Formats: sequence, C-alpha cells, structure tokens
Amino acid sequence: MSAVLTIDNLYKRFPIAGSKQVVQAINGVSLTIEPGETLGLVGESGSGKTTVGRCIVGLIEPTAGTIRFRGKDLAQRHQHKSELGGKIQFVFQEPNESLDPRMKIGDTISEPLLPLKYDRETRRRRTADALRLVRLDPDLLDAYPSELSSGQQQRVGIARAMVTEPELVVLDEPTSALDPTARAEIIDLLRRIQRERNTAYLFISHDLSTVRFISHRVAVMYLGMIVEQGSAETVFNRPQHPYSSGLLSSVMLPHPHLKIESTVSLKGEIPSPINLPKGCFLASRCPFVIDRCRHEMPPAETVGERHTVHCFRHSDVAATVPASDTFNVFMKEAERILGRAKPGGLASSLQ
Amino acid sequence: MGAAEVISKTENVSGDAGKAPLIDIRNLRITFPSGGAEPKTVLKGINLSVQPGEIVGLVGESGAGKTTLARSILGVPPAPGRIAAGEVHFEGRQILSLSEAELRRLRGRRLSVVVPNPRAELNPLRKVGDQIASMAKIHLNVSRKEARRMALQMLRDVQIPDPERRMDAYPHELSGGMAQRVVIAMALICNPAFVISDDATSGLDVTVQAQILALLAKLAAEHGSAMLFITRDVGITAHFCDRIAVLFSGEIVEIAPREALFLEPAHPYTLMLLAAFSHSPKLRDSWSVPETARRRELAAGCQYADRCPIAQAVCRTHRPPFAEVSPGHFARCHFPVRHA
Ligand SMILES: Nc1ncnc2c1ncn2[C@@H]1O[C@H](COP(=O)(O)OP(=O)(O)OP(=O)(O)O)[C@@H](O)[C@H]1O
Ligand SMILES: Nc1ncnc2c1ncn2[C@@H]1O[C@H](COP(=O)(O)OP(=O)(O)O)[C@@H](O)[C@H]1O
Ligand code: SF4
Ligand code: SF4
Ligand SMILES: [Mg+2]
Ligand SMILES: [Mg+2]
Repeated sequence: MSAVLTIDNLYKRFPIAGSKQVVQAINGVSLTIEPGETLGLVGESGSGKTTVGRCIVGLIEPTAGTIRFRGKDLAQRHQHKSELGGKIQFVFQEPNESLDPRMKIGDTISEPLLPLKYDRETRRRRTADALRLVRLDPDLLDAYPSELSSGQQQRVGIARAMVTEPELVVLDEPTSALDPTARAEIIDLLRRIQRERNTAYLFISHDLSTVRFISHRVAVMYLGMIVEQGSAETVFNRPQHPYSSGLLSSVMLPHPHLKIESTVSLKGEIPSPINLPKGCFLASRCPFVIDRCRHEMPPAETVGERHTVHCFRHSDVAATVPASDTFNVFMKEAERILGRAKPGGLASSLQ
Repeated sequence: MGAAEVISKTENVSGDAGKAPLIDIRNLRITFPSGGAEPKTVLKGINLSVQPGEIVGLVGESGAGKTTLARSILGVPPAPGRIAAGEVHFEGRQILSLSEAELRRLRGRRLSVVVPNPRAELNPLRKVGDQIASMAKIHLNVSRKEARRMALQMLRDVQIPDPERRMDAYPHELSGGMAQRVVIAMALICNPAFVISDDATSGLDVTVQAQILALLAKLAAEHGSAMLFITRDVGITAHFCDRIAVLFSGEIVEIAPREALFLEPAHPYTLMLLAAFSHSPKLRDSWSVPETARRRELAAGCQYADRCPIAQAVCRTHRPPFAEVSPGHFARCHFPVRHA
C-alpha cells in the first residue's frame, strides 16, 4: 500500500453535557492521501474539517472507523511510537494561539524534537534547518512571538511542524488570519517545502481560490460527510454534487467580470449536527431534491478516477452545471492586467 | 507649489461631482495617544463622499484604519482615539459637532452600522423580536404593536426561516448566519439613509455570505439607502460595490469606479494587492519589494515609498498628489501606473 494516510469510514460523536443527545461531527469519512500529495478539505464551518484533522494527529479519539498511516493503524499509536515519532505534524489557524507567548521562538520550534531523543547538537542543527526552510532570520531565535508579525508567526508554526521532517502535515486554515500578501508568501513556502521534501498535506481551508491553487485533490465536506472527492481540476471545473457547485458559485474573485457560473443556488443554512436529518443531509437546501432523497442516504459512487460523489442525481447535476475553468481564467486575466502595467509619467507639475 | 494645487483641486472626491453627496467626509484625522509625546495618527486626512443609493467599498489590510473610520463617521472613534481634525456632513448637519444626545438620535435611525460578531451586539437575555422592535419604538415613536409588526416584516425581509417563531427566540438559539441577519434587521428597520457595514460578513460561510450580500444589496436598493461596505475581502467588492476606496496606513491611496479599479489599477499598492491574488510569484515579485530590501519610512513624501517597487527620489521628499488618472479615478502617487 503506497498511501501515506488512509481513513476508512470514520465517525466522531461528541457527548453534550447534561443531555442524552450527541453532536454527530463526523459521519463516515473515507479518504486517502499519497506521498507528496495535497488534499484540500473544504466545507462550511461546522462541517467537521477540524475534527477530521484532530483525529489524524491524535488530539481526539475517533468513535469508529480506522485511520492508517503507512498501513499502521493509528488506534495503536502508542505501539508504533518510535516509527511514528514526528511523522505526522499539524499547523493551526491562529498563529498566535498555537505559539506560547512566554517561549522564545527557537525553543518553540525545537520543542517537537524533545520526545525524539536526539542529542543537543542534532536538535540545534535541525532547528536551524527549519528556520532556514521557512526563510526566517536566525536573529529571531531569541525573540518572543509578540515581536513578530502574524505572517512571521505562521512561519514559526510551520517551522515547528517541519522540524521533525514529517511525511504528513495537517494544516488547519493556516492562512485565514493573514493579509493577502502574507497569505501568498505562506502558500509559496508550503509548495516549496513539498517539492523539496515530498511532504503530503491535508490542507483545510474555506478559501477556495487558495485550495484550487495548492491542492492536487479536493474533498468537499458537508455535515461530517465528504460529499465529493476528486482531482482539484475535476471537482472545481466539473462538480457533480450540488453542494460542491453551490459552494463554488459563492466564491468572489477580485475581477468584476468573472463569476463562477452555476445553476445551483443553495437556500438557507447548514442544519444542526445534533439532530441529523434522515436521508441526504443536503435535502433541505438542495435544488435537485427528489422524494427519495428525504428518506434514503445516497451511497458513494465512483464516477471517475479517484472521483467519488454521494448524490442520487449526480449525472443530472453534471449535465446542468456548466463546466468552467474560472480560477484559471482569473489567473490569466491577472497576468494580462498586471503584466502590462507600467509606471506612468510624473503626475504633478512638480519637477 | 504645483503639487498643492493638484491636491486642493481634486481632494474632494465623489462619485458624481455634479450631485450633492449624501455623506461627505472632509479631512478626517484621528489620533491615538502613544507612549511618546507625539500621538499616533491613525487616519491621516480622509476625504470621501458617498452619493444617495451608492455602495462604496473600503478595502485595506488589517490595521489600515477601516474600523476607526467606520466608528469615527458615527462620532465615536474607538477609545482612546481622538478626532484631531475634520468634518462629516450628513443631511445638512456636521455630525462631529453634534452633542452626545443628538448623535444617539441619529445613530440607528438615519445612519446605522452592521458589525461582525453579531452575538456581541445582541442582548443575550432578550428575545430577538423585542430587540428589533425596540429600535423602531425608540427612533420612530411608533406603538408597541406597530413596532412588533415592523420587526416581523424585517425578519421576513432578511429571509429568516419561520419568522413568527423566531421573534420569540433568544440569541443563543440562532446560528451565526441567523444572528447576523437579526443584526441587519436591527440596522435597517428605521430605514436609514446610510449604512456602514464593517466586516459584517467575514465570520460567515461563503454560501451564507452570498445570501447576506444579495440581501444587503436588495434592501439598500429598495430603501434607497447608500452604503459604505468595509471589508478585507477585495474579491467581494469587485462584485458588490459601485466604487472602491483602497486604504493603506490610514490614507486613501486609490479610489475608482469598480471596473477601473480592477481592470486598470493605478496605485502600486493596489497592484501589489491584486498580484497577491494572482498566485503568480512572478507578478508578485514585480509589484512588491522584499521585506529585507525595504528602507525605513520617511516622514515626508509617500508613505508607501519603502514598499514601492517603482519609487523614485521625489517619492521620498514630496507628498504625492491625489492625481485623477481618468474621470472619477484617483491615485495618491507621483507616477500612477498606466495600462498600455
Ligand atoms: N486603542 C488603541 N490604541 C492605539 N492604537 C490603536 C488602538 N486601536 C486601534 N489602534 C490602531 O489604529 C489602527 C487602525 O485600527 P483599525 O481597527 O481601524 O484597523 P482595521 O483596518 O479595522 O483592521 P481590521 O481589518 O483588523 O479590522 C491600527 O494601526 C491600530 O493599531
Ligand atoms: N469538543 C467538541 N465538543 C462538542 N462538539 C464539538 C467539539 N468539537 C467540534 N464539535 C462540533 O463538531 C462539529 C464539527 O466541528 P469542526 O470539526 O470544528 O468543523 P469545521 O472545522 O469544519 O468548522 C461542529 O458542530 C462542532 O460544534
Ligand atoms: S441526493 Fe438528492 S438532496 Fe442529496 S444532493 Fe443529491 S439531489 Fe440533492
Ligand atoms: S508616489 Fe512614488 S513611492 Fe509612492 S506609490 Fe507612487 S511611485 Fe510609489
Ligand atoms: Mg475548523
Ligand atoms: Mg476592523
């Protein structure tokens, strides 16, 4: 088996204090990630993206299902401790939340090495390497997080994750708190690291434009289920699930003429994960809904190479939603507009 | 000096020079006390006017001064900020010279603001229907019954499912999207002439955001309200606003009708912002200066000079004019970018 990560039929329920009810956060998630591959995980907030990430890195225990890393069942994480040490890492959304304000940057970055029993010299060298990898100034090793910009703080978060030379990194909204320029720099950085080290990423984000750009494959989540999964190009250009299409058509690119065409407009909001509806979870919002959807859960169907969809009417969706390549058109347009821009002459009579 | 002339001629920027603006912000300067003797200037002389019915976008990075501007227009800069200079003219009055009581009568009625984090705006102990109705009762002097009728209609207008039942809901029973709709209902119930939306959709999911934006646009059009739409999401403004102002470090560096801003951006900072979305490292490199190569900011001259890839000597010594590059399109730059 060549996949780095294989998740099979994962479930996670959270009990609600003082109640018999449970939050059904994950409801049968299956996915695989290959070495050096980026799987983008998208979906509205509350859809369960973070919970999947937390199960993978072992911060919480799944209720059911298996997660295998290189074929090893992570439920027995402790038995594989020496082989797993530092091979799976994570980066969180808010850079300042994941950094200890009282800890120097250098100590923050080297902390994940402590349980790995390296000698001091190796730790020092690895820390310096990680710092170089994220292009941070070595002077910052003795700085505290508050002295850094949020873009620099996120670089520290990435250096800390990369210091153990992981094979898989779970990135949970790593750029959401950043301004456009810092975001673009972090994305470049992640891509470069992936090229150099063949690291696999689970890239969780609701920024679809970035996901389109960075991901090889994309999984669309809705109420704890992956409703569609496939190559980034297929899912973005020819979505076959109504939710994928509706989500994509809500994206607003910074170009007044480029709107993602879709016949799907989703009504209302995501239902509560406490009392999940019977049948397809999208039925209350779906313009394609038929009677059957309200009492039967659509199964996963394979509609192409590594492309699966949970929808009874996926072929109707595919036939109605126009294929589009709007993200690429936008990138070409940006190149056209910005590429030929030139500084003008002096604007005032001041010489 | 020539530059000063250019500035005074073009400083009062409005969507349609012929018509009287609905709101006219003139030379607004806001300072915050800083540790040193000199206070920190957070808004450096903002001039902006909005026509009746117009939606003007205001974009800028975190810390550029967007919220400070939104609050200052309402006469309440974020504490401990201070209005150091400037005027805001609205419906024949200078807002910044009004008393606290007069301001309170104006806010929520003629001028209202929608902020993110709706839960913080709502009283957790009061039913949302009562909270919306009390806006109408206080400002419009209508009966309790009439106010409730108006509140229910507002809940319908903001497309809350099952509005009759939701009148009696408490804020914690609502999702984020619904709470945001309630806050919008409160802001619009008195039919204000001017609405400021400060990052109001940032906490929402894109599918809900798209619905809320469509709703804001529809309600603004129906009520004839004008809007200042503040956001960090440049993409939204390309589809939602008539004109867009770009704020950098407390100063409007470019303002233009929507098409012109995105298709023929003139200020190097705007080009840098748009390049960041292009995912092209080459474009980004040509419109930005690496952090390490930046020189220290100079007090005189252009504020963007240390980050500007096309800066020249004059940029560091002389404040750039607010140059009109095409009708209604202005950039504060000595060498506004041209599109051949
Ligand atoms: N209480 C304060 N004391 C000193 N400076 C302040 C204070 N509040 C805000 N500022 C400064 O004023 C500037 C503008 O802040 P403002 O909140 O208006 O930015 P913003 O554009 O709304 O940012 P965001 O996108 O993060 O909401 C920032 O440089 C900020 O540091
Ligand atoms: N520790 C927890 N206890 C109870 N409910 C939780 C917990 N963590 C997450 N949830 C719930 O699980 C669902 C999925 O949440 P999350 O994984 O954070 O979604 P996302 O990251 O996609 O926004 C949500 O309904 C959330 O409220
Ligand atoms: S199964 Fe039915 S309700 Fe679900 S997405 Fe498909 S058409 Fe819509
Ligand atoms: S005035 Fe000079 S430094 Fe400032 S933006 Fe224009 S070209 Fe750049
Ligand atoms: Mg999350
Ligand atoms: Mg703000």
